[in-house]
Amino acid sequence: MIQPKIPNPREAFLSLIRADFTTQWRNRRAVVMSILVPAVILVSWKGLVSKVGGPFVISISLTIGLTSIGLMGYAISVARDRDKGIFQRLRATPTPNFFIMISRLTVQLVMILLLVACVFIVGYRFDHIALSPGGYALTFATGIVGGALYLGLGQTIVGFVKNAETVSSTTRLVYIAFLMLGMFGELNQFPAPINRMVHWSPFGTVRMLLTGSMDPGLWTQDTTIALFISAAYAVVFCFLGIKWFKWNAAGA
Amino acid sequence: MTNAPGEAILTVDQLNVFYGSFQAVKDVSFDVRPGEIFGLLGPNGAGKTSTLSAVEGLLKPHSGEIQVAGFNIRRQSLYAKANMGIQLQATSFQPELTITEIIRLFAGIYGISLTHDRLQALLRDIKLDDAASKRFGQLSGGQQQRVSLVIATIHDPILVLLDEPTTGLDPQSRRQLWERIEAIREKNHAVLLTTHSMEEAEAVCDRIAIIDHGRVIATNTPEALIEMHRRDPDVIAASRKGKITLEDVFIGLTGKNVRA
Repeated sequence: MIQPKIPNPREAFLSLIRADFTTQWRNRRAVVMSILVPAVILVSWKGLVSKVGGPFVISISLTIGLTSIGLMGYAISVARDRDKGIFQRLRATPTPNFFIMISRLTVQLVMILLLVACVFIVGYRFDHIALSPGGYALTFATGIVGGALYLGLGQTIVGFVKNAETVSSTTRLVYIAFLMLGMFGELNQFPAPINRMVHWSPFGTVRMLLTGSMDPGLWTQDTTIALFISAAYAVVFCFLGIKWFKWNAAGA
Repeated sequence: MTNAPGEAILTVDQLNVFYGSFQAVKDVSFDVRPGEIFGLLGPNGAGKTSTLSAVEGLLKPHSGEIQVAGFNIRRQSLYAKANMGIQLQATSFQPELTITEIIRLFAGIYGISLTHDRLQALLRDIKLDDAASKRFGQLSGGQQQRVSLVIATIHDPILVLLDEPTTGLDPQSRRQLWERIEAIREKNHAVLLTTHSMEEAEAVCDRIAIIDHGRVIATNTPEALIEMHRRDPDVIAASRKGKITLEDVFIGLTGKNVRA
């Protein structure tokens, strides 16, 4: 008689996450590159700190770092692993499908925490930007929410787009669109309705969150709304990207 | 839900698989019994891998029922998957992980506690104990296949699915693989495999299903298939050595044309 037993989900998840962390560690050059971009911005914008303020420079650096890890780095690595058939092999085991993706996303969230810490260190060392202890704590927390949003967006793109090359070009396109939106939105170059859209777009809400959290005294009702909207964006994007994820690069 | 002794370990009933409007698998039915090595043979694009993928739970069939150890692959997917071990056609593990890390990953997923000695024994068994810290991406195709087979059987499943397991193996590795497959049979567990090697299928499989254009066109023991078709004109025409072999029957039934 065959016993109706399935493995312990906790043990399965821990094994997945251990393997994903090891893989990430072996690909640490890619992580370093993702952290390097915001660090370069911080160093090169040194002269602007006195004009636009330290929190603004930090928030721009973090937003760019979060988009490059969440949107581009994550989506492209998932697309490549899908091409290799790694996900199909894991799906053939008694592991719930969402475990496979949640494990990946968790590792990336830790990378995002690392990114936030590096940005703070570089900002302090090179631009002498110092936040209050509350500001640091709040920015770590909102960095996770913002990171989850961009990871969710990356998950949606890689979930719906099957071809790895198309995933790569789509994420680059969205990345550039976000940068442009942010740049022109800050300069109020759009008509009012578009400015409002930019304000409440994933880019706008994360920027608002980061700026507000760096100086808790400036936290407004809009920042609170941005927090809830960002969390909602993250949940919806992750749900869509996991639920309708195309597991197989070839065939149906 | 559990199987009674002697009942089929795998039952595929009226399976239909579509890719868009193209029907890859048409009303395929067969069963695999305890202690049996069952071969699924067919030309390229015949529907073997689609059938296997449906059994593995990797694709959703349009219709039909698949039961593994009494568990429905769609409705009781985790239970069904816990009872099978799988080797996919393309070996597919994270190339950055070492063999040891990959084996530990899958042992954890299947809830197997793996001591250092047990791990060493597994690696010795596939002659890779010296390569334990080598990354999967650095292994040769044959070594990757051996790792893949160890992982497919790490939880001692009652059903093992092997998709073209001998592809890329040298004769020694192939011989070792068949010994391992026969050891599975001796435990009264079952093996479902696809292969292009008719000699191997004839020598090792207890029963065979020949699949072509998505349909099962013949199911029986290799000897019975040869006996049943030895007088077919197409089979005689395919015969080159005078003696009718399984390959002659296969070509006689599926045609001489090379498939894309």
